Amino acid sequence: MISIWLRGLITRRPGALIATVAGVTIAVALLASLGSFLASAQASMTVRAASGVAVDWQVQVAADAKIAAVQSTVKSAPGVTAALPVGFAQTSGLSATTQGTTQNTGSGVVLGIPSNYAATFPGQIRFLTGARDGVLIAQQTASNLHVAPGDVVAIRLTGTKPVTVTVAGVVDLPQANSLFQTVGAPVSAQPTAPPDNVLLVPESVFAKISAAVTPVHPELVSHQLHVARSHALPSDPAVSYVSVTEAAHNLEAKLAGAGRIGDNLGASLDAARGDSSYATVLFLFLGLPGAVLAGILTVAVANSGADRRRREQALLRTRGASPRLVARLATAEALLVGVIGGAIGLGLSAIVGAVVFGSASFGASPLSAILWPVGAFIAGLAIAVLAVVLPAVRDFRSIIVSDARAQISRRRKPLWMTIYLDYLLLAVASIVLVITTQAGYSLVLAPEGVASIQVNYWAFFGPGLLWIGAGLLTWRLSNFALSRAPRALTRFVRPVTGNLAPIAAASMSRQRSLLSRAIVMFALALAFAGSTAIFNSTYQQQAEVDARLTNGADVTVTEPPGSAVPPSAASSIAGVAGVKSVEPLQHRYAYVGSDLQDLFGVRASSIAAATSLQDAYFQQGTAAQLMAKLAAQPDAILVSAETVKDFQLHSGETINLRLQNSVTKKLVAVPFRYVGVANEFPTAPKDSFFIANADYVAKMTGDASVGAFLVNTGGQSTDSVAASLKQKLGTTASVVPIGAARSSVGSSLTSVDLAGLTRVELAFALLLAAAAGGLVFALGLAERRRTFAIASVLGASRRQLRGLVLAEAAAIAVGGAIAGVLLGVVLSQMLVAVLTGVFDPPPTILTVPVGYLLVTAVIALAAIAGAALLSARESRRPAIETLRDI
Amino acid sequence: MSETAALFSAKAAGHTYGADDTAVVAVRDVTCSVMSGSRIALTGPSGSGKSTLLHMMAGLEQATRGSVSWDALGGHPAGRPDQVGVIFQGISLIPSLDAVQNVALPLVIDGMPYEEAQERARDAIGRLGLDALAAKLPDELSGGQSQRIAVARVLAAGPKLILADEPTGQLDRAAGIHVIDVLIETADQLDAALVVSTHDRTIAARFASRWTMHDGALTSMTASNEDPIDRTTE
Ligand SMILES: Nc1ncnc2c1ncn2[C@@H]1O[C@H](COP(=O)(O)OP(=O)(O)OP(=O)(O)O)[C@@H](O)[C@H]1O
Ligand SMILES: [Mg+2]
Repeated sequence: MISIWLRGLITRRPGALIATVAGVTIAVALLASLGSFLASAQASMTVRAASGVAVDWQVQVAADAKIAAVQSTVKSAPGVTAALPVGFAQTSGLSATTQGTTQNTGSGVVLGIPSNYAATFPGQIRFLTGARDGVLIAQQTASNLHVAPGDVVAIRLTGTKPVTVTVAGVVDLPQANSLFQTVGAPVSAQPTAPPDNVLLVPESVFAKISAAVTPVHPELVSHQLHVARSHALPSDPAVSYVSVTEAAHNLEAKLAGAGRIGDNLGASLDAARGDSSYATVLFLFLGLPGAVLAGILTVAVANSGADRRRREQALLRTRGASPRLVARLATAEALLVGVIGGAIGLGLSAIVGAVVFGSASFGASPLSAILWPVGAFIAGLAIAVLAVVLPAVRDFRSIIVSDARAQISRRRKPLWMTIYLDYLLLAVASIVLVITTQAGYSLVLAPEGVASIQVNYWAFFGPGLLWIGAGLLTWRLSNFALSRAPRALTRFVRPVTGNLAPIAAASMSRQRSLLSRAIVMFALALAFAGSTAIFNSTYQQQAEVDARLTNGADVTVTEPPGSAVPPSAASSIAGVAGVKSVEPLQHRYAYVGSDLQDLFGVRASSIAAATSLQDAYFQQGTAAQLMAKLAAQPDAILVSAETVKDFQLHSGETINLRLQNSVTKKLVAVPFRYVGVANEFPTAPKDSFFIANADYVAKMTGDASVGAFLVNTGGQSTDSVAASLKQKLGTTASVVPIGAARSSVGSSLTSVDLAGLTRVELAFALLLAAAAGGLVFALGLAERRRTFAIASVLGASRRQLRGLVLAEAAAIAVGGAIAGVLLGVVLSQMLVAVLTGVFDPPPTILTVPVGYLLVTAVIALAAIAGAALLSARESRRPAIETLRDI
Repeated sequence: MSETAALFSAKAAGHTYGADDTAVVAVRDVTCSVMSGSRIALTGPSGSGKSTLLHMMAGLEQATRGSVSWDALGGHPAGRPDQVGVIFQGISLIPSLDAVQNVALPLVIDGMPYEEAQERARDAIGRLGLDALAAKLPDELSGGQSQRIAVARVLAAGPKLILADEPTGQLDRAAGIHVIDVLIETADQLDAALVVSTHDRTIAARFASRWTMHDGALTSMTASNEDPIDRTTE
């Protein structure tokens, strides 16, 4: 019975079946593609977070513990692949005599490292010049002491004789912050700044220093074990974080006080898991509506065959079929549709993955490579059941056959319209929006060091209710326009229908529920395409701004601390081909109270030319306004919001900072006038800092030296400009093009191939818009065929028939486009507002990808027009036969 | 147009649906003519080709064999509601238009301004005493009411030839008689020829000429003695 029924379906209703399968295909392919993408993004975040860590764990050995014993315990812990002892000794200062002058430095740290340290932890030491073993000196210390490989350095030690060593090489310590962390410090503690002077010595040298210092000042010598762990981690950063943290706790427990663990790997995963939740959130916000839309389209298409289905069911009933049989037949049909659509959808997503991401599974790990497709497949089956089984069973129960004519409305208003559900939903959506965009609200809460991540799922109600509310409102408005404005409607359709306009208008008015549904669907598809496109391009633009914020400018030349490069050096940089403009940027440290903060001295009138200053970086004024304030007032200063709060500052008040005088090396109090708030600034750290006038700082400290040069290349050929600058400036300054920042700094979310995601989403959005445009015409096909057959035998010409369909097409296109554009704009604004946390910094304006939107609009309209003309041709041919059918 | 010119005439005309092995010969070798003012009842068993022949008369179906002509109508009548009006076997009203709009539709299609067509439609509906139905939608009409509106649609256009394909097929006796009354009245008002296909002998008996079809062929064409207008030829 079932196979006969299915065979009948395939032979008699191939069109409807294909359309339903297509709907399921789109939904499954979209879900599977986005899901696999999400999984692979998370996996890459984990890999990235793990590989960015030079030393996974730093185990601080307790003063009274035996290093060897701790080392063997650590080594035996699961997952540990290496554990090397590192000695830390405080020096009261270093000195060196070169070319007849003696340089002294302040205090510093001497590290004792085993010979295989660099090979075991390749990320820790960057070799600049000289040998790779022996005594290595940090670049900054080398420049402070004016030493090079081969020079002798004296290590002054408190309470004992200095030890002299010969420098073998100059190195950079890229992860100095975690290397010199205070292991076991509470999470809330301020990170300690790495020491200014660092010397790396072989174990034998360190043993000598330790032997000399320990007896007199044991507190100045300490030992750590640096641990490398296996990076075979679960692909989800949150899961990885938990497993690594637990392993650390286990080991600490086993060490029983003999060691505390500085969990660098955990900290890095901690940061990544926040980004990972954002990726999930993005998927939900941007992917789900598309899948739901595909589902709705599928249901609508399946429903377009309702007339025929009811007739078939009437036949079944007269043959005595039970509701159970009807349900079984419908389930068989749904399974057929779901399985075929699901299979094609998965195939499609594999192709999409291969084309866009270069691997069929989007680079996802084996488990997620299976989970997502399976989930998508099940979703496809669910859609098929919703589309096929539910209406069949419902129809069979409600035996009122006259319902079949429900398309022509003289019906009562639907319930949602009478209770104003649309307005209600929109009101709630705006309330949610207001709440979720309030200051202090955060969509994803991943408190540092806490295992659980909180996602405020409430925020989803904003866009979710907006989708539904706007859809219903569109329905209400188009219903209203179609029923209450016959004259306007007549005028609207006259260009295509000629003197048939009043008839066409009357007919459309009576078919308004059908047309409204089509308008809503088209509008939603357009809104999906539009909001996705706008959100993604805004995101990309902000990622670029973020890269510029982190790097400072297209190319940034950073002078080593302590070097005294004057601002005039800018002119030699400006001479390099490709450089448009150069801005010197002072970098100092200033004490405010007991707090040490970065201070940046700028040339307020021209800084904006070399880098992008977003209004979002500042408070109490736009970027331009605050720079103008600085330019107008020499002692003006911008401070962080936190400092304003801590010191209860009011605009115009004086704030005294203590800065080092270059001559006396003493701290001097310098008065500044607080004029505004800067929360972000190119090259500035994420925490508090000051922005002041460079000239004023130079005058008050007797020092005009520059910390960095911001080089504007107009965004062009940053790499080649950086290369020529490197050649010109040698190894003293570090030259970083923006591309490096794009890939190495910034959140791991930015580093994920969002461009690929965007392409996938936009392709699907386009497909949906076109499908909605085309498929809405399948909706009233049965009704329309009858109307056309009658009009045709009554003498209507081909042109007149075409006019009738085109009138409907125009109404759907225009109504859908207006509603779709409006909803698209509002939605993208809402998405950006609710997802602010994804953006760093938050955008001031939306970026509208005009080209893509135009292409989408054209394709969607072409789909409508094509479907309309096709349906006009279809309906014309068998007029008399159609009429006999009725 | 000479007085003897036929509204419709067929010479050895036939119609075959489909081709080759699926071909169905619906009408075969029919020679006949319909003169102005005729009252013809077309009878025959189901599937004998009545509808097909009527559609050929209306120009909606081509003669695949032989020839047909509409001399008195000045050529092929398709799209000319003022020449031939058809009442179809099934329901033939557009569901999204009310009765008046349905009646006005052929006129508007023919190029008449909507307001004028509406006027004519109301007038036709009034003449058939159907004013109460004017604002109703097809779904709100009974089968008989629908067919009477279809008759009004023909009346409004004022054709010279009215073709009705089993207009009473789905109606009960009383309703059927009423529809036939309205049809004859309309034909009288317009001074038009009327061809009605029917299975009902008592209805057929009310017509001056009675043609019978069998298996696609016109097997008999009888005329009541008292009917002077019958001019059927072999
Ligand atoms: N579109 C078509 N395609 C193929 N065959 C057709 C088509 N329309 C009618 N026929 C066949 O042509 C023959 C004549 O059909 P027609 O409808 O003219 O008969 P009828 O006398 O009007 O029958 P009824 O009294 O049932 O209305 C029948 O055998 C029918 O099956
Ligand atoms: Mg028939």
